[in-house]
Amino acid sequence: MKVSQILRFLGTDVPAAALRVAGTRVLQQSAGQARGMVVLLGVVTLVGVITTVLTPSALGAAIDAAGNREDLSHALVWLAAVFAVTTAATALEDLISSYWGSQVTAWLRHRLMGRALVLGIPGQRRFPAGDLLSRLTENAASPASFFPLLISACATLLTSIGAVVALILIDFRLGIIFLIGAVPAVVVLRRFVTQASQPFLRYQQLLAAIITRLLDAHRGIRTIRASGTLERDVGRILLPLPELHHTGRQVWAVQRQVSWQLSLLGPLLQVLVLSVGGFVLAAGGITAGQLVAAVSYVGLALGSVGLFDTLVALLTCQVGAGRVGEVLDTTPAISPPVRPVTVSPGPGQVELRDVSVRMEQRAVLDHLDLSMPSGTSVAIVGGSGTGKTVLTSLIGRLLDPDEGEVLLNRVPVAQLELAALRRIVTYAFERPALLGATVHDMIAYARPEASRADVVAAAAVAQADRFIRSLPEGYDTPLVRAPMSGGELQRLGLARAVLADARVIVLDDATSSLDTATEVKVAEALERVLAGRTCVVVAHRAATADRADLVAWLDAGRIRALAPHHVLWSDPSYRAVFGTDEKTMARNGDGPTAVPGVAAPS
Amino acid sequence: MTLAAGVRLLRRHLRPQRQALWRLAGWSALEAAPTFVSGLLIAGALDRGFLAGRPLVGLGWLAALALLQLIGAVGTRQIYPWLAATVEPLRDSLLTAVVTASLQRALKDEKAASGSSVSQASEQVEAVRALYSTLLRTMRQLLSGGVAALGGLTVLSPLLALVVASFVFLAVILFAGILCIMVGRFRTVVLRAEEISATAAPVVEGMRDVVAHAAEARAAREVGEAIQAQAEALRAFARARVLRLPVVTLGVHLPMLALLAMSPWLIARHNLTVGQIVGCVVYLASGLQPAFQVVVNAGGTLLVSLGVILGRLAEVCACAESPAPAAHPPALCPTGHDLDVDGVTFAYSPHAEPIVADLTLHIPAGMHLAVVGPSGVGKSTLANLLARLATPQRGQLRLGGLALEQVDEGYLRRTVALIPQEAYVFAGSIRDNLAYLQPRATSAEIDEAVVAVGLAETLSRLGGDDAEVPPGGGALSPGERQLIALARVYLSAAQIVILDEATCHLDPVAEARAEQAFADRHGTLVVIAHRMSSAMRADRILVMDGADAVLGSHHDLLANNRLYADLVGYWDRTHGEPHADHRLTTPRPLS
Repeated sequence: MKVSQILRFLGTDVPAAALRVAGTRVLQQSAGQARGMVVLLGVVTLVGVITTVLTPSALGAAIDAAGNREDLSHALVWLAAVFAVTTAATALEDLISSYWGSQVTAWLRHRLMGRALVLGIPGQRRFPAGDLLSRLTENAASPASFFPLLISACATLLTSIGAVVALILIDFRLGIIFLIGAVPAVVVLRRFVTQASQPFLRYQQLLAAIITRLLDAHRGIRTIRASGTLERDVGRILLPLPELHHTGRQVWAVQRQVSWQLSLLGPLLQVLVLSVGGFVLAAGGITAGQLVAAVSYVGLALGSVGLFDTLVALLTCQVGAGRVGEVLDTTPAISPPVRPVTVSPGPGQVELRDVSVRMEQRAVLDHLDLSMPSGTSVAIVGGSGTGKTVLTSLIGRLLDPDEGEVLLNRVPVAQLELAALRRIVTYAFERPALLGATVHDMIAYARPEASRADVVAAAAVAQADRFIRSLPEGYDTPLVRAPMSGGELQRLGLARAVLADARVIVLDDATSSLDTATEVKVAEALERVLAGRTCVVVAHRAATADRADLVAWLDAGRIRALAPHHVLWSDPSYRAVFGTDEKTMARNGDGPTAVPGVAAPS
Repeated sequence: MTLAAGVRLLRRHLRPQRQALWRLAGWSALEAAPTFVSGLLIAGALDRGFLAGRPLVGLGWLAALALLQLIGAVGTRQIYPWLAATVEPLRDSLLTAVVTASLQRALKDEKAASGSSVSQASEQVEAVRALYSTLLRTMRQLLSGGVAALGGLTVLSPLLALVVASFVFLAVILFAGILCIMVGRFRTVVLRAEEISATAAPVVEGMRDVVAHAAEARAAREVGEAIQAQAEALRAFARARVLRLPVVTLGVHLPMLALLAMSPWLIARHNLTVGQIVGCVVYLASGLQPAFQVVVNAGGTLLVSLGVILGRLAEVCACAESPAPAAHPPALCPTGHDLDVDGVTFAYSPHAEPIVADLTLHIPAGMHLAVVGPSGVGKSTLANLLARLATPQRGQLRLGGLALEQVDEGYLRRTVALIPQEAYVFAGSIRDNLAYLQPRATSAEIDEAVVAVGLAETLSRLGGDDAEVPPGGGALSPGERQLIALARVYLSAAQIVILDEATCHLDPVAEARAEQAFADRHGTLVVIAHRMSSAMRADRILVMDGADAVLGSHHDLLANNRLYADLVGYWDRTHGEPHADHRLTTPRPLS
């Protein structure tokens, strides 16, 4: 019952059992880290428990000694020693758990980050960015709190047991009276856990609604700025606030019920024990000091009442650890080769043999064959959703095919060392990620040793040098302070790819945000730089396809034709791939008009 | 100092809750009553009852104690509504402040607030609520218990009370000093945790790029450094907590030892009975000691966390406070809607190349102007300048003859509408989204706008304008979101509409339709063109080439401007007819 409640409360819908199993495994591995510290923690805690249980009786003995004026100094020294050891033990406990906890958290985070990088792009599908980040920052800290919590929970339990035992040792009647009175406390607490969850969940939902609205407004900030509607938007974001307030009050109402009943229970129990103890005292069974000790023992024994919260916290830690374990247990889709082969020298000759890729039960690529001659530029053309990006991802092993193989210079890419492969094949994407601290850093992300001259040269090829110089600090502008349009961003990505100096360069829609003029300049510059290298371009525009040496026409998961653009242009279904533009042109009246002196293609 | 700023923030938001806090204090006093008398009653029970061989009398005294504890429990019960009345409004006002501040910061610097910092701020408000309520609940109960215990101790033995109080006083001073160190260390912990997020987020979001460029090792190293830094900060904080040791010894153990050491002397000289000694011990053990230990242990962490988080929130709210408006001449409303750009120069910073240099342009009311040029040349910047979202370093922009800085803010925002590339669609009904700039729009006007920009098909697919858009936009495609933004501005009272690539996600047919709708609508239309077909539909075209700009009609520019001809020429070239020679020798016939 409790676990499913907690999981609902955390909002996960993974089967509870699997998560907890993964969590237990991670916790066990964490315990294995710095085993010595865990043992030391246990020892120190045990010492603390012993001295805590001894304290009331030492106090009682000192009171008696004070009352009878005998051997007071001896009792005081003993009491002082017990105090000192208890305090030292508590302080050491805290210090050791923190040190151990920080070590374990760091270790787990390193592992998690490394795993995420190994899982790569297929992993991103399973664990989206926001989810992974929350696992890294929050869940990875769970095991660090688990063991200290567990040990302190055991300590509290032992202390309570010790206190009850000590109470019984003083006088068995006191012990029995206490135990009879303690049962209602447990009952009250159980009620709290079951009742409080309802309004609390609703509270979390409302809070999440406000935060999501705020995030939406951030995305549309330019519109809000231009419309001057800030107050109205703030009002709209805070619409759920009154209900949040109301739900909050409900949570308080539940807490009130439990709290006042609980506040009564402890002191009344102490009065009860005091009364019975007083009778025993009057009858001469115990001393005044022992009576004081008995009352203190009642307080100590009631310390276990908070164990319920600790149990809930432990389960939350386990689930958190489980979420980390999920990532760590995932086998990477792209595994490095067992016996890596070095790639042969020479230009990049790419070949795909009988390649099939299936996604979500659909065959995106279906027994595809493609052989790209080395040193040529090949445009991949096809309607949207036909798998152009999937195809290009195979070349650099950003994705592995389900069947068939991809060869580079006649060597299967699966046998090449991954890092070497990724230096031979480089990519430029439609929306390059802003990695690195400054603009220079972003371009040189994969080649940190590159000089400024190299970076500037690469940026010049990508037609990015000009706009970079117009930034506040030029190449040293921090990325967070470099507002950029889509076209500028794409050119940075291109510069990064150019700097990589690879044998095969894949441009995946990497010039889509550039206007036609810039695209031509980029293409001309790239042509010079990439002479003799293989270039694979995903093309949406006829001009891009035209500029390439060959066009690979991707249709229904296979290559329908591999020929130059002007040869394919005679096929109406080929023209239909670029179709929309033609229709617009016809409507706008600027259809292909014949220019005197230049022949139209046949 | 951020702690001081945080405390100021808390005080400011708690000011309306003064009355609730006083009531809270009152009921706390009642709650503390049993602690105050506990030592006295126990002393009486022992001296007059159990130790005197009259257990029933002792029982009577204890019964009185039990009764007082019942009264105390009533006090506890009554406290809760006042706790709620203090904490809930605090959360409300803090959340409002954070939301407003977060948006104000984003308004000033659009790249400033990222998604993670937004949710961090919201979590911090929640943390303040939780921490503050725990603080109030625990601390007030135990503090008043501590004060009550000292009071009771004074009644039993003023001398003892003095001794104990001096120890406690010293301990509190020591604690206050340690608290400052702990706050500083904890602040570092919080900051380092945020840095882990900040370092890991670009890597995780840009995983494809990291993997494709074989930069995993570098990424892992950078995130690894942030991870280690936070671990070290945690350890430093733990070391600071050890400093609580002497505080506990001074405030808890030494008073008890002193009391016991002094008791034979007190019994002999000051006629203190054993029962009264027991009473004093009870005050120390059940009243003062728990209060002190909670303050030092949990209270230390609580106060520290609260202090640091409040400090962070104060920073967030402070940055957003707009500077006092400079003394401006009274805001005026211009007559006419002609836009004038007069010798305007703009650059992002003093060292950077200017985006726009000495630009002079006249846009009469009603003109349809297209702005074209290579990517990154400054078209969006020009749009920002026209809408007064940016201020030029030199030169002046005028609306209806009046300098833009002097135009009334509200009038300007209503008259000039800028639609950016990223369409803003918020959670609510589609009707709310459409009527955003014109709340009093009638259904007929809304329908007209919807049909004009071409949103009708989407709307019928979604189920009419009462359809709800969920937070995050739901199933709307980027093109549909742009259509909603376009319809919204069409509906508004804007006299000057600036489309900053606001149709880039629409296919060319839809784009033409939307632009035509705006051209037919009253007022000026400025289109930052992404496709050259937009330029061909305009009255006049502004060609931006680096920092230079040329204005003309399509025909004129084609003949006289090499860049424009290239842009148009290249464009035509791509549509199915690759030419061997791209230089145009004959002017092309216009449509």
